Amino acid sequence: MKDERGDGMTDETSSSADGESGTSAVPFSRYAGTYLALVLLATGSLVLSRLHLGGLSVALLIAAAKAILVLWFFMHLSTQSASSRLAVLAAVVMIGTLVALTALDVETRHTFPAHTQPPPSSGFYERSSR
Amino acid sequence: MPAPSHAEQYSGYPRLAETLRFGMWIFLASETLLFAGLFALYASYRAMFRADFTQAIQHNTLAYGTVNMYVLLTSSFTVALSLATLRRNRPRVTLALLLATAALGGVFLVVKALEYAEHVRNGALPGPFYHWQALPTFGANRFFTMYWLMTGLHALHVMAGVVVVLWLARRTHRRRYTAARHATFEMGTLYWHLVDVMWLFLWPILYLA
Repeated sequence: MKDERGDGMTDETSSSADGESGTSAVPFSRYAGTYLALVLLATGSLVLSRLHLGGLSVALLIAAAKAILVLWFFMHLSTQSASSRLAVLAAVVMIGTLVALTALDVETRHTFPAHTQPPPSSGFYERSSR
Repeated sequence: MPAPSHAEQYSGYPRLAETLRFGMWIFLASETLLFAGLFALYASYRAMFRADFTQAIQHNTLAYGTVNMYVLLTSSFTVALSLATLRRNRPRVTLALLLATAALGGVFLVVKALEYAEHVRNGALPGPFYHWQALPTFGANRFFTMYWLMTGLHALHVMAGVVVVLWLARRTHRRRYTAARHATFEMGTLYWHLVDVMWLFLWPILYLA
């Protein structure tokens, strides 16, 4: 019964070396490399934006690449269980579905005005173009 | 007979830690779905007011948002290192890294406050309070309404994250974690990373393109 040490469940004060996920051997250089890559990607995205290259889709692709780096290396998704990875995958699929279908509805509707209008009492706004 | 280190439904501490991890990932996934509703609304308004949104982004406070992008990336790095040093049994370094992370969270909030102050001065306020003379379009109103909702919700998460990291620091200072047993510490660092991941996506859609 090597796991039954003399401390409370939430205190975590036992010094036993039994069991952890296999992340204790991750070298510091991997974290440093991940950080460097994140900074380079952020800077690249900023430069592209200033040069008016790529637009929103490229900026979001770079953001997704950065998120994968954070999830995989900083949050150790690389060594998490399949069930934990499934939770992440489910979130990605649901967000993608929700955002894509909501935007597609607005993009393709013909029966409603193309966009919402300011309150009629407001004389502040110029006419918006799509 | 000493008290066991885990409730009886777990075969051992590794099982307990694994269960906590799975629960934490589900919690983080549900947190992102909270933001997903706002992303969907943003995408819809952007589809309605494409030109206005592009113009509003070009007028937004890019410098503040970009500084905060680097601040959060760095804080994600320091909190990842804090876990790595804990696993190498270096609690003093761990404590220093946690305090650095909380400080970076504080820097983020200060920069955010300065940025909000500029928006208030300009009149780039949400909904019916919008009155920025430089951008008198209803699309810009929608953009800044989404801006305040999304960054405001994110800032609340940063505040909660700072509290979590300071709580971890306090427990680290009291030597409540060891190289082998630190499941709640790991959960706290995951939460902080989530705050960074959210900003990864807010930064491009609110400041870049």
